[in-house]
Amino acid sequence: MTEPFLVVRNIAKRFGALTALANVDLEIRSGEVLALLGDNGAGKSTFIKILAGAHPPSDGELVIEGNPVAFSSPKDAAASGIATIFQELALSENLSIAENVFLGRELKRSILGIPFLKRKEMRQRVDGLLKELDAHISDPEAPVGSLSGGQRQAVAICRALNLNARLVIMDEPTAALAVAETRKVLALTRRLAARGCAVVLISHNISEVFEVADRIVVFRRGRKVAERLAAETDHEEVVSLITGAHPDVRALEKTN
Amino acid sequence: MNAVRLIGDGVFSMNGREWSLLVACLLAIVIFSVASPHYATSGNAATVLRNSVELLLIGLGMTLLLAMGGIDVSIGIVMGLAAIAIGRVLGADGNPLLAIVVGPLVGALLGCVTAAVVVLGRVPAIVGTLGLLGVYRTAVFVLLGGQWLSGLPSSLTNLLATSVLGVPVPALAIAVAYLAVWLALRRTPYGLHLLAIGNSEEKARLSGIPVIKVRFITFVISGVLTGIAATFYVATYRNVEMTIGSTLALDAIAAVILGGTSILGGRCSLIGTVLGVLLLRILQNGLLLIGVPSLWQPVVTGVLIIGVLGFEAVCNGLPLGRFQRARA
Repeated sequence: MTEPFLVVRNIAKRFGALTALANVDLEIRSGEVLALLGDNGAGKSTFIKILAGAHPPSDGELVIEGNPVAFSSPKDAAASGIATIFQELALSENLSIAENVFLGRELKRSILGIPFLKRKEMRQRVDGLLKELDAHISDPEAPVGSLSGGQRQAVAICRALNLNARLVIMDEPTAALAVAETRKVLALTRRLAARGCAVVLISHNISEVFEVADRIVVFRRGRKVAERLAAETDHEEVVSLITGAHPDVRALEKTN
Repeated sequence: MNAVRLIGDGVFSMNGREWSLLVACLLAIVIFSVASPHYATSGNAATVLRNSVELLLIGLGMTLLLAMGGIDVSIGIVMGLAAIAIGRVLGADGNPLLAIVVGPLVGALLGCVTAAVVVLGRVPAIVGTLGLLGVYRTAVFVLLGGQWLSGLPSSLTNLLATSVLGVPVPALAIAVAYLAVWLALRRTPYGLHLLAIGNSEEKARLSGIPVIKVRFITFVISGVLTGIAATFYVATYRNVEMTIGSTLALDAIAAVILGGTSILGGRCSLIGTVLGVLLLRILQNGLLLIGVPSLWQPVVTGVLIIGVLGFEAVCNGLPLGRFQRARA
C-alpha cells in the first residue's frame, strides 16, 4: 500500500470543559473513498472542520505526505490540497458554471495593466472537467441557477478539482437530493477517487455508504470506535457500531 | 444550443426587457408627436439627448451599485458638490483643463467617503447614503452661501461643446464610459466578483473574493462617473443652483430598474440602463411639451419605479416566474 495522503495522529478537540473529539487516529489514502458514520453529536462535523482548517485541534497533529501541517484558516487547508464541499454549496446562482468553477481564481491576461478574463480557456477547462466527471452537463455557460441539486454538486466538485484538491471532503452531499440525482452524485464520488483523489464522505445513509465507500469509520461520543473495510462488514454490524450495541464498542466504552 | 444561457453578455445584447423599452421609447415619441406640434423637431430631440447626458453617466455607476446589492441615494448631491468645485476652479482662472480634472477627482474623493461609511463602516448602503444626503445637502447650501454660482466663464463650454470627427464630445464621453463599464463588468474578474457579491456576499466571501475591495472600488467608480457628469453639467448650464441634483438619484434608480437591473443585486443590464434613461427623459420632456407642469415629473418617475417593481413581483410570484431566471 502506498503512503497515505493524510495521517491524523491523536487528534483531540475540546471546547472549554466539553471534549468534542478525543484521540482520533486515522489514515486517509489517495484514490480511496472513506466514509465517516456516526450519530448526531458523534464528532464527525468537528473532525472534518479540523481537516478543513475551520477549527484548530486542541491536541494531536495532521501529517500530509510525511510533513506535519497546521492550519489556521480554511485557506491554509485549501493551499495544502484539501477542499471541503459543505452542504450549503457556496455557488453563485447568477453566474455560469465556468465562472463558478473559477470564481476567486480566474485565469486572466493583462492588457495595458488591466486583468482581462481568459474566458475561452476557462470554458474549455471546465468543459474538460465536466466530461471527465461524466457530469451530463453539456454547456459550461449555463447559469448555476438553472441546474438541479445534483448538477450543482457536480459543479462544486469541479471547483474542488480545479483548485487541485488532493482530498475532497463531502458533507452529506446527497441529503437534499432525489433518488436519480443521488445515484449521479455517488457515481461522481467514485470517479473522484478513480482520479486519484482522496475522498472523505459524511453520510447518514448506510446503504449509500456501502455503495461507494472503500473503508468505513464509525464515530461515537467523540471517539473513533471502529474502522472496517466495506467489503468485510455489513449493514447490521455498522448499525450496531453506531448505536453502541456491538461488543467491540461496549468493551471499548467499558475500559474508558 | 438549447440550454439556458447567461444573457446580456454582449456589448449591446438585447432581450425581452430591452426590446420592450425600445418599443416604449418609440411609442412615446409617436404619441407625443401627435399630441404636440412642438415635439417632433430636431431641436427638441437635441434637448432630450442633452438632458440625458448626466443621467446616463450616473446611471452606469448606479447599475454597478445595484448589481452589487448596493445603492447610493446621495448621488445627485454628490454631483452638486463636484459641480461647485468645478465652478469655483473655473471662476477663479477660467482654465478649462484644470476644471476637467477637478470633477472626477472630487467625485472619486466623495466616492471614497461613501465607501468608508458603507463598506468600512458596515452601515447598510441605503441608510449610509441617506445620512450622507442630509450632510451634503447642507454642505451645498453652506458652500453656495445661499446664492447661485452663476456667470461662469465659457471656456469649459467651448471645450466640451465641440465635436471630434463629427461626434459631439458628450456623446463620445458616454460611449467611452459605457464601453469601459461594460468591459469591467463582463470581461474582468472584477465584474464577476461584483455580480457574485450581488448574489450573496457570504458566498462570495467563501469563494475567496476580496469583498471589501470590490465594494469599495465600485463606490469610487460611481463617484468618478458622477464627477464627469458634473463637468458636463457645468459646461452646459454655466451655473450651479441651490437645488442641483435633487431628483437625480430618484431618476437614476428608476432608469436602472426600468432597464432590468435587479434592486436585489446579482443581475444587471447596461443597455437596459441606457434605454431606461432615454425613456425617462422622453416622458419627462414630452409631458412638459403637452402642458403637464414640471412639478409632476417626480410623480411620473415614482410611479414608474413602483409600477416596474410591482409588475416584477407579480411575475416572479407566478409559477412560471421566468422573469428573474437566467439573467445576470
